[in-house]
Amino acid sequence: MLTKRQNLLETIRGGKPDRFVNQYEAFDCDPGSIFGMIMGDPIAAASPRVGRGEPPVKDGWGVTRAWPPNVPGAFPVHDEEHKVVKDITQWEKVVKAPRLDYPQSEWDKFKPKIAAVDRNEVFVTIFGAPGIFEQLHYLMGMDDCLIAFYEEPQAVKDLIQYVTDWKLSYAKLLCDNFAPEVILQHDDWGSHRSSFLSPDMFEEFFLEPYKKWYGYYKERGVQLIVHHNDSYSANLVPFMIEMKVDIWQGCVTTNNVSELIKKYGGKISFMGDIDNGLVDREDWTQELVEQHVRRACEENGKHYFIPCITQGGKGSVYDGVYDAISRAIDKMSKEMFN
Amino acid sequence: MAKIDEVKEQVIIGKTKMVPGLVQAALDEGSAAKDILQAMIDGMKVVGDRFSAGEIYVPEMLIAAKAMAKGVEVLKPSLSGEASTSLGTCVIGTVEGDLHDIGKNLVNMMIGSAGFDMVDIGVDQAPDKFIEAIKNNKNVKLVACSALLTTTLPALKKTVDAIRESGLQGFKIIVGGAPVTAQFAEEIGADAYAPDAGSAAEKAKEIVAA
Ligand code: B12
Repeated sequence: MLTKRQNLLETIRGGKPDRFVNQYEAFDCDPGSIFGMIMGDPIAAASPRVGRGEPPVKDGWGVTRAWPPNVPGAFPVHDEEHKVVKDITQWEKVVKAPRLDYPQSEWDKFKPKIAAVDRNEVFVTIFGAPGIFEQLHYLMGMDDCLIAFYEEPQAVKDLIQYVTDWKLSYAKLLCDNFAPEVILQHDDWGSHRSSFLSPDMFEEFFLEPYKKWYGYYKERGVQLIVHHNDSYSANLVPFMIEMKVDIWQGCVTTNNVSELIKKYGGKISFMGDIDNGLVDREDWTQELVEQHVRRACEENGKHYFIPCITQGGKGSVYDGVYDAISRAIDKMSKEMFN
Repeated sequence: MAKIDEVKEQVIIGKTKMVPGLVQAALDEGSAAKDILQAMIDGMKVVGDRFSAGEIYVPEMLIAAKAMAKGVEVLKPSLSGEASTSLGTCVIGTVEGDLHDIGKNLVNMMIGSAGFDMVDIGVDQAPDKFIEAIKNNKNVKLVACSALLTTTLPALKKTVDAIRESGLQGFKIIVGGAPVTAQFAEEIGADAYAPDAGSAAEKAKEIVAA
């Protein structure tokens, strides 16, 4: 039997996998973190996080994050009072990236869990969020952000440059200290029906910054870039390929994943096609889950596809759903790989 | 091209800086304020249709709505004299436990652009907040509820139930959001569902007229 990482590589290279890759199994390298990936470093540790039901806090970028007790996750607050950027042309006066200059001793504290990873079985995987686009709308709110692409394109480009430069410096520190094998980076680029930006606009603003960022990781020996984006973005796949994304995680069903595999398999792989919206619900049952997993596995086949919940890390909103998907995938492996 | 037609064209392509001047020029040319408003509403319908068809994206829709809003500002003084062209008031909000508002805001703009007076009660709103807003506003013809999480689908049902049980009448309920389907909308007793903001405006007009 292949190890989890071998099996993943066989799958995305069109080789001889001996079963379906089961969701996040090959990236599940740190039992101590909520998503099972490496999530700690001095910079992340210094950015305040809000807990459920606690008063709102300001994160490292000054973005106010709230988590009322009755909702399932935290949220950036964007009323006039709390927006960091109120006027995009004045962003330089108000946006200040978090410091990156921590002493080596701070980094060393995080190294034991990297050393503990069983590299035969799984990849040393670093979880990254938010992405460049997300950082932009966290600072000013989505409406202002999307309007700014039209009204003040140069200011937006300058801010993107600033965010990207910071991310590159951060990437260097991560590579120097952790030598990651896989980066799982979040950046949601759309709703479930369409990308937020037209492909032309996306190309104009984001292609180069992402090429630089992901290209840098590749230069530093990162084997795989896994990009999380749980939205419709079938129209952006050519750019993902150009950015050197190896696996698009989060591709929701509206993308018509089996068509994408036919079109782009071999250049990029697809991880998802089991939407939270369809299975991760109050009235879920094992049968419902199995029905969706079966459809995904049968339609997409054994190559360039990893059946997975679309959310950007292992787990689910409703207890038990993630594990139910895993069981259903094992069942499909038995059936399809005999 | 008559100025009033130019207003429509420039709303469609979201020329926020051009529209106010063109609205004024159309008024000067002798077009009635309500006709100019209608031209902008027609323009936004084109925008909504293009969005539904996937020809344009969220930013294009936002700037078109912004351009129309700027035009309406110029128009307002002249409109107040004329008979109301409003299709009624629409109360809109995101249901309790849900903080997503991008979709709701777009729907707000599009239903507003179709000729409704909008009352946006915001996100994370309990059923009684919707009811309060229906009571406190005049001529409510439509209530629009948005939910983006599977965890808040039950809250959507609770909201529709509570509104029905309140005994308040004279309006229709439309629901939407990524996990909502036409079937679910029917199950919980909503009057209508729409998959996106463009079709939401069309559905809104349709059910209110029915
Ligand atoms: C952007 C986004 C966010 C942003 C929201 C910013 C904001 N101000 O709203 C941020 C990052 C803050 C966020 C936070 C969270 N999110 Co979120 N988010 C999304 C994302 C990527 C896109 C949603 C969106 O804005 N789409 C753009 C708009 C234009 O589209 P739309 O909302 O679908 O609206 C259109 C239609 O649905 C319709 N419509 C909408 N409302 C209405 C109403 C009516 C009446 C009608 C007729 C039509 C209609 O018209 C709109 C325009 O065409 C979705 C993924 C997805 N693929 O949808 C996840 C998603 C909705 N989020 C999700 C989750 C889990 C969360 C968090 C809990 C995450 C966390 N752990 O922090 C928190 C939730 C906080 C809370 N309590 O609400 C999940 C929900 C999973 C589930 N089980 O349902 C999704 C599906 C992602 C996923 N797969 O995990 N999120």
